[in-house]
Amino acid sequence: MLRLVNFAHGAFYAIGAYVGLVVAQQWGLVAGLIAAPLAVAFFAVVFDRLILRLFYDKEPTSQILVTFGVAIVVEESLRLIFGGTTRQFPLPDALSGSFNLGFANYPTYRLLLAAGIIALVVIVWLFIERTDYGLIVRAGIRDRTMVQLLGGNVKLASTVIFALGAGLAGLVGAAASPIYSVDPDTGFSFLVPSFVVVVIGGLGSFWGAVLGGIIVGELGSVTTLILPAASDVVIYVAMALVLLVRPQGLLGESEVIKG
Amino acid sequence: MKGDLRFYALTVLGLVLFPFVIHPIGGYAGLATQILIVGIASMGFNLLLGYAGLLSYGQAMFYGLGAYVALLTVSRFFPQHPNFWLAIGLAIAFVTIVAIAIGTLVVRLYGIYFSLLTLAFAQMFYFVVFKWTDLTGGDDGLQGITSPAVPLGFTSIDLTASFPAVDLGPFGNLSDVHYWYAFVALVTLLVVAFFRTLTRSQFGEVLRAIRENEQRSTFVGFDIARYKLAAFAIAGALTGLSGALRGLYETSTAPDALTVETSGNFVIYTVVGGVQTLFGPLLGTGLIMYLQNVISAKTDAWRLIEGVIFVLVIVFLPGGLLGTFAKRRTKPRRIITDALRPAPPTAAPARSEVTR
Repeated sequence: MLRLVNFAHGAFYAIGAYVGLVVAQQWGLVAGLIAAPLAVAFFAVVFDRLILRLFYDKEPTSQILVTFGVAIVVEESLRLIFGGTTRQFPLPDALSGSFNLGFANYPTYRLLLAAGIIALVVIVWLFIERTDYGLIVRAGIRDRTMVQLLGGNVKLASTVIFALGAGLAGLVGAAASPIYSVDPDTGFSFLVPSFVVVVIGGLGSFWGAVLGGIIVGELGSVTTLILPAASDVVIYVAMALVLLVRPQGLLGESEVIKG
Repeated sequence: MKGDLRFYALTVLGLVLFPFVIHPIGGYAGLATQILIVGIASMGFNLLLGYAGLLSYGQAMFYGLGAYVALLTVSRFFPQHPNFWLAIGLAIAFVTIVAIAIGTLVVRLYGIYFSLLTLAFAQMFYFVVFKWTDLTGGDDGLQGITSPAVPLGFTSIDLTASFPAVDLGPFGNLSDVHYWYAFVALVTLLVVAFFRTLTRSQFGEVLRAIRENEQRSTFVGFDIARYKLAAFAIAGALTGLSGALRGLYETSTAPDALTVETSGNFVIYTVVGGVQTLFGPLLGTGLIMYLQNVISAKTDAWRLIEGVIFVLVIVFLPGGLLGTFAKRRTKPRRIITDALRPAPPTAAPARSEVTR
């Protein structure tokens, strides 16, 4: 899975946010949330077939470079099409209120979003860990040739997983934009913190990423209360500390580091 | 020896002609100065990507910190006796220490992890600079700082002064060129010489060996983490020097110097010009900064064009401009890399092997 984390993910997120925005303004939020992942998955497959394909056999650095280049092109195209200004996503009235949880009031949309994200996490986890397809993908990351020899279609599987990952980034981009506003740099400001999350939680570990997300979120909010000036820096300091004490991350497997 | 003499003579000639040649094609001498300053950082980056195989997306932290430390040295730390050399020296020293500290944490990582981790640390320094308003001026940065003259023992030179006026026709006027250019050109020459010696030394050989086959290099007995850390520190120091020069030249700096965009620019410059080549990073820096200067005056789409150029170069000219078009000569001293290479039948036809 993690081999697919790349600079283009930020771009996928941003495309998702903009597609969601445009569709939602025309046909409503639900339509936006459906259109965004589909559009982004489609874009990802085109990108994969046209450009990324040329880099499968090359060294990882050139793969990173090409995703970086495409991310710039996407970001700048969005800026030229939609302008550099920040946009806000419209929320239907039914969702913009708050919901009484018994102990506290919480904005309805955020609550739904949290529930939706938990559901997504479970679905993705089941897909990767429990289906034959997930097995091919996981095995393909370990030993591509062996899986191919055994008859697994790694090529198709990696395209599917790439599109799936991109679609998810697009969906999250669209779903999160009523909370965070949308601008062309959106993708990037989402990419770096999410990587910090992965490093703290543990490279290559699914539950590590979940744990890292909780830690980063809590650290950020707590520091905002105590020392607001340091709130942006604290997650990076945490990351440095984790790297120093436990380089593979809290729940990570050590083999990722050793290469 | 004769080859060396010719090499340096041509390099000096190129540096002397550069600010005049750029004039008739829409550039100006000040741009030439900026290109050389930024080019020094690109050369440092090339040591990482081209020789150690480390794709750092955090070079902006060294660049920005260099600029801030140099300007703070003259304006804040030693305002009574602002000294040019002290500013540069402190900047390089500070940045080198930071680079060693961060390098220790990151050189063990590979591929995208290394890239994103360097990027994350750069973001950390960006936020520190952005938020520490008392020291750094926050969003406004440091502005209007008087850059001290360069003391040379018996005399001192004001770098902002111009050469005497001599009309050069289409190549502008000699007085367009400030002493700053001469100074920066001299520093560039020293950096080129340093880089050339370094990459031809055993150190450079081992780095290339690591890049081509890390596992074998370990088996042969090289401590690859230390070599990578050394490359990271040297690249950091060069980038810090570049940042310090830029800060003193502009007499100002802003948090922009530490952004992801700045880090990405070093990547773009170096890759477009040609990794693993001596002058590729300088060429790439010059070409892109020149195009930016010309094109961004006419359209908002410059950054998009830059991205497209970058993608086209990676797809069609993986060696960059210089790496693809320059004639490939057999390098005389590749004993270590050759020894490490697998036997010919199994070896992938690497770039330099094909023409040999």
